[in-house]
Amino acid sequence: MRSEDLITSLAQDLGAVRPLPSPARLLAVWLGVSVPVLAAITLMMGPRPDLAGKCGEAGFVISQGLGVVTAVVSAYAAFCAGRPDQPGWKLWAPMLAMLVWLGDLGRQCAVVSLQDAGGVLRLQLDPMCVPAIVIAGVIPAGLIVALMRRSATFRRDHACLCGALAAGAAADVALRLFHGSVNIATLLLWQMGSVMLFTSTAWFISSTILRNVARAPRRRQLAG
Amino acid sequence: MSEQGDWARWLSEAQAGNRRSYEALLRAALPWLRGMARRRFPWADAAEAEAMVQDTLLALHRNLHLYDPGRPAEPFLLGILKLRGADRRRMRARHQVRETPLDDVPVTSMALATKETQEVAIDAGRVSSAVGALPPRDREILEMLKLREMSLAETSAATGMSVGALKVATFRAIRRLRAKLGVTDEE
Repeated sequence: MRSEDLITSLAQDLGAVRPLPSPARLLAVWLGVSVPVLAAITLMMGPRPDLAGKCGEAGFVISQGLGVVTAVVSAYAAFCAGRPDQPGWKLWAPMLAMLVWLGDLGRQCAVVSLQDAGGVLRLQLDPMCVPAIVIAGVIPAGLIVALMRRSATFRRDHACLCGALAAGAAADVALRLFHGSVNIATLLLWQMGSVMLFTSTAWFISSTILRNVARAPRRRQLAG
Repeated sequence: MSEQGDWARWLSEAQAGNRRSYEALLRAALPWLRGMARRRFPWADAAEAEAMVQDTLLALHRNLHLYDPGRPAEPFLLGILKLRGADRRRMRARHQVRETPLDDVPVTSMALATKETQEVAIDAGRVSSAVGALPPRDREILEMLKLREMSLAETSAATGMSVGALKVATFRAIRRLRAKLGVTDEE
């Protein structure tokens, strides 16, 4: 088919569409729902007993702040990824934020282990982290998938990865408010391990869901 | 380019369902997209570059809602072209892995056959279609004598022709069949 003929038929087929809200607006919606949900989960699970003292520790505050930054930047990148006119640096910013976040936790781990002659590196079992991350992360993850469903045509896998990372990071920030780790190494392995496990699982599931969502209108068109 | 200032307006009018603005945008953007496709994807031949442009037009049509009316139109169109071009490059790379160059293989080589009986099947198919193209009388005689292997007497009884006439008709039918198959008398 000639491109000129294609243009004629596309113009004949045109119908009005509602423009998608901007990524910043979608981010505001996501935060507006996710923050109260995570606060409610924290209250239901009961805040950790040493939370007031922890809020005075620079290491805890920085690490939580970096977790929040990773969640916000990742969610914004997830909403940008499906739009073809967004620059590449916005899409890769979450990876940088996550590396800084992990790097800070690693630095804290190294500093404390030097002060404690390695005692802090003794790993302890903390399997509670995995279900806690899932409980805290499932609503932000589901919401981000729902908000991304209309922009699932372009860079879908990248959008899903960023969305899953945003939900995982937000869940970890909430988790550290109601569940404390015995030491930093246990936190690094169990909590961050749970975040990674949640992120990769949510990435796969959301990508599958959005692929089916994107195919559905085409199937309807073919059937019609 | 001054007319590109109109593109954003046309695109937001297209979102509202204005077909004239949409067609004007697509017609104005077509040569620009062709030029961009050639520049961005120098590995693509003319047909492939045109396919990329058409993919871009189709993707734009399906994703008009993603355009933010406050932003310029060219980065939006170029973004779609780049993403669709990258898809085509990946598809091309995947296909190249599965392709086998045939330049070194002789046309008559059995290496091209996917089944051992393929040549026999092709010959049978040719004969069958050549028989199908013969006049009904010839087809009937050849079917009785050669395919069903009936005797001359049985065929004579079935067709009402004398044995002598049947021999002559068979000879002529075979000659016509050979001609249909392109077989000369020297072969």
